[in-house]
Amino acid sequence: MTHSITKLPAARLRIKEIDLCGWIGQAIPGERLEYHRGFLALDVTEQGTRLAERDRSELVRVARRAWWAAELGLVHLVQRRHGPDDYSYLAIARPKPRHVPASLASFLLQEVA
Amino acid sequence: MSHAISAAELKLLLFEADAQARRLTCRLRLPRAELDDIRQDLLVDLIARLPAFDPERGSLGAFAGLVLRNYATRIAAKIRREREAFGAVPVSLDEEEPGRDGGTRGELTAEEDGLSAWLGQPVDAFATVERRLDTERGLGALERRDGALCAALAHTTVESLAAQGRGSRSSLYRRLKDIRLVLMAHGLEAA
Repeated sequence: MTHSITKLPAARLRIKEIDLCGWIGQAIPGERLEYHRGFLALDVTEQGTRLAERDRSELVRVARRAWWAAELGLVHLVQRRHGPDDYSYLAIARPKPRHVPASLASFLLQEVA
Repeated sequence: MSHAISAAELKLLLFEADAQARRLTCRLRLPRAELDDIRQDLLVDLIARLPAFDPERGSLGAFAGLVLRNYATRIAAKIRREREAFGAVPVSLDEEEPGRDGGTRGELTAEEDGLSAWLGQPVDAFATVERRLDTERGLGALERRDGALCAALAHTTVESLAAQGRGSRSSLYRRLKDIRLVLMAHGLEAA
């Protein structure tokens, strides 16, 4: 019995963590950014990645930062399937939260105390 | 020799100082706003030298004229030196701008056109307030320990904090890098 083996498309690092943070900070609600194209779960692992080690480390940071931003309510994270093991990972900007749980003054007072 | 001056002599001194100040401003093409300052400088110098006046050697008018001319020459030399250093056309903030209802240049120059703006300093008060609010919002997004680190760094350095045992230099710099990214994600860029 033979199995067909799908050849994974070549992946590349699209943006760095600092680019993602900059985009999140400036994006208008509804704007979207493709922060990775490929198979993220595979591309971040040392064994399965198609990226150079430095790019893989950066992709790990990008993915973590995207998740962090989603947890803070800054972006929605969605993915679009193009084919086998080929997805677009998208961040969609959300309105910025207005509440301020802490202030500069409180930090400074805490530091003095 | 001291000499008590009468009201008529004082009037003469004021007149001589005024005439010399007008001659000087005219000769140097100084703005009208400078006239009062120059007249005052001339008078102060004249009054300071008045004890040296000897009525037996000449009239008060001649004495005042000599003293005022000497000091006017020194003022003129000083102004010429300043012009050589800073440009041929001096601009005074006290100078009235023509056709602007007597407003001086200092009163009519907008902050955006001022020297601070030219030197790159922020001059927009509204932008400053907005930036402060953005900073408050960005700092609110930090974890408390990171906020405390920012507050500490407002008056000390990473090296000092490391020496105080608040973490190694490398870990403090790593946290700073992370804080910078967090602030950037909240729309704040490094100044």
